[in-house]
Amino acid sequence: MTPSLYVYIVVGCVLAAETPLAQRADGRAGVTATPVPAPSAPPAGAQQIPKGSNVNPDAGLVAEFKKKIEGYVKLRNEAEHASPNLEQTLKPGEIVTAEKSIGHRVRQARATAKRGDIFTPATQAMFRRMLRPPLTKGAGAADNKAIIKDDAPDPKDVPFKVNSDYPKDAPLSTVPPDVLLSLPQLPEDVQYRFVGKHLILYDAKANLIIDFMLNAIP
Amino acid sequence: MRTHTRLAAVTLGLALAVGVAAQDLTVPNKPTGTLKFAVIGDSGTGDSNQYRLAKVFTDMHQRFAYEFVLMMGDNMYGSENARDFQRKFEVPYKPVLDKGVKFYASLGNHDSTNQRMYKLFNMNGERFYTFKPKDGVRIFALDSNYMDRTQLQWFEKELVASGSDWKIVFFHHPIYSSGGRHGSDTALRDQLEPLFLKFGVDVVMTGHEHFYERLKPQKGIHYFISGGAGKLRRGDVGGEFTAKAFDQGHHFMILEIDGDQMHFQVISDQAKTVDSGVITRRKVDTEAAPSQPAAPPVKPVPPKDKPSTSTANPSTVTPAARNPAPAKSSGR
Repeated sequence: MTPSLYVYIVVGCVLAAETPLAQRADGRAGVTATPVPAPSAPPAGAQQIPKGSNVNPDAGLVAEFKKKIEGYVKLRNEAEHASPNLEQTLKPGEIVTAEKSIGHRVRQARATAKRGDIFTPATQAMFRRMLRPPLTKGAGAADNKAIIKDDAPDPKDVPFKVNSDYPKDAPLSTVPPDVLLSLPQLPEDVQYRFVGKHLILYDAKANLIIDFMLNAIP
Repeated sequence: MRTHTRLAAVTLGLALAVGVAAQDLTVPNKPTGTLKFAVIGDSGTGDSNQYRLAKVFTDMHQRFAYEFVLMMGDNMYGSENARDFQRKFEVPYKPVLDKGVKFYASLGNHDSTNQRMYKLFNMNGERFYTFKPKDGVRIFALDSNYMDRTQLQWFEKELVASGSDWKIVFFHHPIYSSGGRHGSDTALRDQLEPLFLKFGVDVVMTGHEHFYERLKPQKGIHYFISGGAGKLRRGDVGGEFTAKAFDQGHHFMILEIDGDQMHFQVISDQAKTVDSGVITRRKVDTEAAPSQPAAPPVKPVPPKDKPSTSTANPSTVTPAARNPAPAKSSGR
């Protein structure tokens, strides 16, 4: 094996490791990764990758997205440390108090945060590409859409506003495993949730909307 | 006067006799050596329906001392402030909470993730968890709202470690259901069923549908839906999956594991037995035999006051308005 080929393979493996799990032939995500053929033309916002390469064209965007999420989690952890402990308790009032305090401190710490800070235009384009297979292709696409819609909140019941509380009266949409496996993995307590056709980034610990993108579902 | 008194006494006696007979236990109710537990689902309305069933449920504990309760999710509809935890959980179940009965919750789509921090739900601060209530029995609680990679990997790891125990899994969304409103969550099924089969899961319990349904065993696994402890949706169940269903009242389940047998009994808010039976555990070598043997049939156990069948009873089952899901896809 020539040194250049070796480097090529190593770089390819590293970038592939950043890729969300590959799509199955039927368009649904599976737990076993399979190679994804590179598209003939790179999508908007994606890296320019040589034709025939096994490198994920979205690797850079995924890395950027994950970095922003890590930044958010660091900020949230600081807010948590400054709040009453959110820990196991017999007193539900303590849970409510801790949750509200974390949310309040997160809002203070990212007071200037606005829509699109995390879901940048390029990231949104990537998410739409990632959501297309599990929601439009294969036998499971209709089911996945139905699952998201099932008992999901009405968009008018949820404020589309960065840093706002998620209303306790509104149910949380179920996110099909296929869809979750198609998207970049998030740390525990940061979740993807749908409201109508829109995707929100939700902090389950602080009960807070971190960011959102409209019309995410094709 | 004397005639009236005698008539009243006879009437009262008959009423008591009917009440007692209606609650006749079909489970063995052995004094020692078995594992007794109960199941409620979609309970947290805080309204009179929840309270009426909770009365029957807590009274039942005097006759059948279940050690713990599995909650199928939607433990708290609507707001979740401190008073809601009291009104929708602590007050209706106080008689058994006071006796030390433990409740193990799973999360439904109406539940805040932070319910995991509430000690009386025994979730140990986690969305998904497992516990072993007795030697030979392993119970897994999953968060079906958000079945991400982390949870799937955790579940597989825990299944591997569970060995040859009874494996009982519970979560909110049914992967098989004859419900017209929701139906089978086939996307969830695609991820979970291979693990159930590979590692020999015996019984799966869910809620979400606001009725009771015992399904015909699917690939050797027994499925129950119990989502009517607070909510109720009449006229929504019945179809090709149904072995027995009940949607004419609220209900809860009591269960008893005795060696390789799991006895179950389903009781309505009228204190009537609406289903009962025995499941015999399969013998599965999960390492050597990835394909599962067929599940032994459920043996119906009629309550003493009236016969019961293992098939859908027309008197208690209302056909679904829509066709139920076929075994694969388009099940919603």
